Amino acid sequence: MLKRFFTDLKKYFHYSVIAAKSQLKAEVAGSYLNWIWWVLDPVCFMLIYTFIFGYVFKSNEQYFPVYIFIGLSMWEFFNKTVQGSVKMIKANKSIVSKIYFPKYILLLTRCWVNGFKMLISFSIVVAMMIVFQVPITWNVLYAIPIVITLFVFTFGCSCFLMHYGVYINDLANVITIATRMLFYITGIFYNLETRIKGYGTFLNRYNPVAFLLSSMRKSVIYSSTPDLLFLAIWFVVGVLIAIFGIRKIYKEENSYVKAI
Amino acid sequence: MCEYAIEVENLSICYKTLQKMSIKQSFLKGMRRKADEFEAVKNISFKVEKGEILGIVGKNGSGKSTMLRAIAGIFSPNKGTIDLHGNSISLLAIGVGFQAELSGRENILLSGMLLGFSEKEIRARMDEIIEFSELGKFIESPVRTYSSGMYSKLAFSITAILETDIILIDEVLSVGDSRFKKKSYAKMKELITDKNRTVVIVSHDAKTVANLCTKVLWINDGEFVQMGPTAEVLAEYEKFMA
Repeated sequence: MLKRFFTDLKKYFHYSVIAAKSQLKAEVAGSYLNWIWWVLDPVCFMLIYTFIFGYVFKSNEQYFPVYIFIGLSMWEFFNKTVQGSVKMIKANKSIVSKIYFPKYILLLTRCWVNGFKMLISFSIVVAMMIVFQVPITWNVLYAIPIVITLFVFTFGCSCFLMHYGVYINDLANVITIATRMLFYITGIFYNLETRIKGYGTFLNRYNPVAFLLSSMRKSVIYSSTPDLLFLAIWFVVGVLIAIFGIRKIYKEENSYVKAI
Repeated sequence: MCEYAIEVENLSICYKTLQKMSIKQSFLKGMRRKADEFEAVKNISFKVEKGEILGIVGKNGSGKSTMLRAIAGIFSPNKGTIDLHGNSISLLAIGVGFQAELSGRENILLSGMLLGFSEKEIRARMDEIIEFSELGKFIESPVRTYSSGMYSKLAFSITAILETDIILIDEVLSVGDSRFKKKSYAKMKELITDKNRTVVIVSHDAKTVANLCTKVLWINDGEFVQMGPTAEVLAEYEKFMA
């Protein structure tokens, strides 16, 4: 199965990149501000959250706007990819019913699209770090394995959601609620460990998204090393989920057309 | 001479109706799904020689399109095998898969890549495709703004210019206005008569089949009825349909 995966990946990788590019282009084609929205969108949300949680709820995290921005960028990647995956097959019915290709390529394309947006957000993070004069150490390099882990984990989850989304009609509703709940227990605009006594540390480790978010902040803005053991564990878990997800899709993808 | 491009053996395809359900239903019923099975294609075997033009006829709902999709690899057969001997294949159908938000040009690139061509090969033939499709400046507008005629013109042009070893055609011969129809018919003939290309045409219109095909397969309600030279089978078929 893995061999097939790699030959297929080689064959369709280029397609997924081109498809992602076209989708990004199409997304902004109709709007006046065009690609500026990719910058404007996260910045506006950051300002809203900074205002509400920094001034209204008096959060006292250091470099708070940067803190929120990192959380928000990574969360958006996870959230958008996962939510989009449920209806992925139905949304691409026109292609799925006309030609064979491995269906997770659709997810890969989506990951590139959302990953590109995350990249833009990260470059804003860099700009903000210069403005706030955040001290930088070599720990910043941990950002790379963290992003890779996030990518693999998100892709794996999406594989399963895409598969079940074909057969279960109201999975999308459930996922909307589930991600909303996850949003609040991921600590995007507050520190889980200091705000939730007792469960906070637990959540910070066993909620993968929260773990990756806080690791990112640790390495990028607080000049410290993230919990490497847990990073490795979540990476392996992510890879396993992805492998099982791909296997599931290979096994069942040919009957998707019959269900939609 | 006996080199086969497509070999289909004991092919059966089932549709499960009532497969989609809500979460409530799936909890209530647990994992055992009670689905009504509907057998669209029943135990069909045939072989198509390289360079041959096979027409598949049958009344509506007799499983022609289903079988074509199975040959294209979109469906997996429930039973039986389909062997294409490594030939590249494309399915030409009305309103082939486009992404509505993207422009025609991008859709050409994407469809072409899904058909297994490299970016370079497609870019090299891009102008030819656009010219053949007669879309002109519309090629830069999103496909959702296209009329149904423009849509199928583009779809036809892609498959016609980017040639695959096997072409499957699903009732596509009536594309566009009468002028484009003539042109596409001519192009189709040109494609079809290429000795190296194998073509399978599905149609319920006996006239097009009679004009184009060298051999005809007739199926009825998913079952094999007859296969043989065009005139012979079509005569029987028309008697049956009358």
